[in-house]
Amino acid sequence: MPFTRLVEVGRVAMVNYGKDYGKLVVIVDIIDQARALCDAPDMTRKPMYFKRLAITEFVIDISKSPNKKTLIAALNSSKAFEKFAESAWGKKLAAKKAKAASTDFSRFKAMIAKKAKSAKIKAALK
Amino acid sequence: MRQVYNTRELEIPADVECDIKSKVVTVKGPRGTLTRDLSHLQVDLFKTEIDGKPHVKVEVWHGTSKRLAGTRTVVSHINNMILGVTRGFRYTMRLVYAHFPINVTIEDAGKTIEIRNFLGEKRVRIVKMLDGVTIAKDKGTKDQLVLEGNDIENVSRSSAQIHACCLVRAKDIRKFLDGVYVNGKGHIYNPEE
Repeated sequence: MPFTRLVEVGRVAMVNYGKDYGKLVVIVDIIDQARALCDAPDMTRKPMYFKRLAITEFVIDISKSPNKKTLIAALNSSKAFEKFAESAWGKKLAAKKAKAASTDFSRFKAMIAKKAKSAKIKAALK
Repeated sequence: MRQVYNTRELEIPADVECDIKSKVVTVKGPRGTLTRDLSHLQVDLFKTEIDGKPHVKVEVWHGTSKRLAGTRTVVSHINNMILGVTRGFRYTMRLVYAHFPINVTIEDAGKTIEIRNFLGEKRVRIVKMLDGVTIAKDKGTKDQLVLEGNDIENVSRSSAQIHACCLVRAKDIRKFLDGVYVNGKGHIYNPEE
């Protein structure tokens, strides 16, 4: 099967390595065979290596190197970052984050809830 | 330097069915079925529709020279399979001799050939045809053999084996030109064009 997620202007990618780990960026230009110019609403535009990016299934409609205002407008109209958070990948990331940030009390509550649920299931099956 | 993207397409004709799974290609046509495992080539191989017609598409991303060469190789192999199942392959070979007539008998309903009296030698040469290949003496022409089959690899390799079993030893081969030589490569069914 062909590759469907292509590196192109407007492709949304997640940074996989380095200082900006976990950030969503938009590829606004291709510099050479190894690097792309990446931009996001909350950072200054900078070159990033393709090997440090994990490309997502979302593309926004922009032309090469738009100014920041145009980029933010395009992101808001396409809602690409929100759609990513609702995708399976985005949900898995959120779940991981929540688990890492959980307190002992929240884990206790989760354990009680699980026990209550399985007791109900057992009773229903009998 | 790696080439960013390289692609080739091959149209599949209407009377041929082509199936590709994990780079194992099966081609079905009016003359039969051929299967070939092309997974030794590092390419992306899949079926698509271009202009409504089924095509086979080969893609290589960031390829080095050997991988790029693989795109055309794949297309050639699949094209030969398509030709094999629609038109077949027919190779003709001539028996060339100066003094000792080469004696050929076909056994096993076209599966084995026995060659005698090559250069007057007493040794009988027996060559078995490969899968799907039949051999016969050409009825129209004297001293001509015809090999027919669907798989070009098997037909051409059988021809090569016959050629290789009748080689002259310990003589000047520029003078002793006896042998069995391929003199024609064509198809069994040729559409009237």
